[in-house]
Amino acid sequence: MPRWGMVIDLDKCVGCQACSTACKVENNVPHGSPDEQRLRREIYWNKVIAVTTGKYPRVNTELIPMPCMHCDHAPCVTVCPAKATYRREDGIIVQDFRRCIGCKYCIVACPYGARSFNSKEQEEKEYHRQDLPPDRSVWGQWPFPTRTHGVVEKCTFCFHRIDQGLKEGKKIGKEVVPACVEDCPTGARIFGDLDDTHSEISSLLASRDWIRLREELDTKSKVYYLLK
Amino acid sequence: MKEFQMGLTFSKIEGKSRDFYILLIVLAVFTLIGFICFMVSYITGHHVLGTNNIIPWGMPIIITIYLIGLSAGSLILSSLTYVFGKEEYRPIARLAVFLAIILIFGAMIGIAMDLGRPEKSWRLFMFFVLNNMRSMFAVNGILYGGYFLIGIVYLGAIFAEKYKFIRMMGMLAVFWAALVHMGTGAIFGFIATRPIFFSPIKPFEFLAAAMVSGLALLMIAVVAIFKFTKRNFNKTIIFSLGKLLLTLIIVLVVMVLVDKLTHLYSPDREPMVWLLTGPYSWVFWGLQVGLAYILPILLLAHPRYSKNIRGVMVAAFLVVIGIFGERFALVIPGTAYPLPFYPGKIEGIWGAAGSFPITPVESFMSIGIFTLMGLFLLLGLKNLELLPVDEKGEQTPAPSEKK
Repeated sequence: MPRWGMVIDLDKCVGCQACSTACKVENNVPHGSPDEQRLRREIYWNKVIAVTTGKYPRVNTELIPMPCMHCDHAPCVTVCPAKATYRREDGIIVQDFRRCIGCKYCIVACPYGARSFNSKEQEEKEYHRQDLPPDRSVWGQWPFPTRTHGVVEKCTFCFHRIDQGLKEGKKIGKEVVPACVEDCPTGARIFGDLDDTHSEISSLLASRDWIRLREELDTKSKVYYLLK
Repeated sequence: MKEFQMGLTFSKIEGKSRDFYILLIVLAVFTLIGFICFMVSYITGHHVLGTNNIIPWGMPIIITIYLIGLSAGSLILSSLTYVFGKEEYRPIARLAVFLAIILIFGAMIGIAMDLGRPEKSWRLFMFFVLNNMRSMFAVNGILYGGYFLIGIVYLGAIFAEKYKFIRMMGMLAVFWAALVHMGTGAIFGFIATRPIFFSPIKPFEFLAAAMVSGLALLMIAVVAIFKFTKRNFNKTIIFSLGKLLLTLIIVLVVMVLVDKLTHLYSPDREPMVWLLTGPYSWVFWGLQVGLAYILPILLLAHPRYSKNIRGVMVAAFLVVIGIFGERFALVIPGTAYPLPFYPGKIEGIWGAAGSFPITPVESFMSIGIFTLMGLFLLLGLKNLELLPVDEKGEQTPAPSEKK
């Protein structure tokens, strides 16, 4: 069984937010108004934060793209009372909207702020997807899910792409990657199997210095950051 | 002992006066408004509430843990009579059990209001089948459900006057009530991500806060109801309960002090300093420390005010309000403090502390929970024999009418 993981090269990231946008279009994540963003109600499955250290003129700003970390020891899975969020065998932490009761305990428990609560009904036709058939009953819940308000949602590592790719016998990590990886203009994101010693991400982790965020909480996250 | 127990009879209130019906109607109207507000938030989504992605839990959760505390405290105190045999508290013991049942019911309503999809709340009660029993929330589902059932059986046994069974149920109820509130504390205390929550002492702190607030509410309810129905009550009961309240407050203060002091040391120093000096510090210092701890301790330790019914009542009122502040100062600042994703200063909204606006829908929803419980209390007083018959006092109904 593979163990999917992601490597983000901070040296290559330019902070263009292409990953955030690609994610929203791929997964039909509602876009919020400036007001909603200010009130922290906008849903983000992927965000890019800017972290500054030092004082002018000696300032350093680092841009950290943050998807869900898909932790091996995920605090959200531990606290979910309804088994709505669970770890798949391939290590992806998924959120089942049908099971989620909206208690928001997982938002409280997540150390990465990766989870968002869907607090209002989504407007139809927010995104135009030419690649999908116009009749939505043909393609089912995934990809491009519609959902009601009142549940918690988060990044899925685009598991629908991976499942589809495996079915078609394609190489995951080369031919099939999550939307944020595909759209990154500088190639800062690399996706692959952490357990496969021949994958690109394994060789990167073996040859470069890397960190994971908030190691002190022992979440064993599967998103690795290569340092500048 | 048996003769003494038989000597005290209980009665219903008459509930036919104009004031009674006016009160009933006012409460019903506010409950209806609360229900409408809940439907608005349910149908249009939680954007009408003050909660957001950084402060996911708002007023309903604050009220829920507050009510669970009041309920557990109230039930534990009923055991003074039924388990430990303190006869002087018998006149108020039935009311204590009834209040506990109403309060836990209100707490359940509060949880349902907080859920994004309340129609799926049955999933919380599919123990071991659809539930993840590692979640403290699911464990608490067992505790709350069991607590509600035990409370009802306990009250039924008291009405049936089966003394051996009452004693047994009383012991079970006390044990379970302690578990319930410690479990509620564990929901918060086990979250390593939130430094203000994370603490092994949280369950015990919650238990102490439950006893304090439950006792204070019971004292207020007893004095108010007895005065309103023109019953004489033994003032020494209230004074001795006041002494008990003082002791419990001091226990609670020690627990809170230990908790906050521990967090003032590394690595959680910054969030704790933020709580003590930041935008929500007025809730902590003003409501929690001021109203719930310092003023009541001063009043209850004062040689004159502690022997004055008004002084003790003011202290109890301050405690009930102050403990609400304590819950607020836990839930809101606990989640509002920004998470340190990466060392350095996080710019923009991701590094800013959350704010919790008070919205009309949420406020009326919250008021609705309280008025619904008030309704149940009034109807309970009217239909159940909760209050003792006072042979000497001028009361409604008069003892002769009852017999």
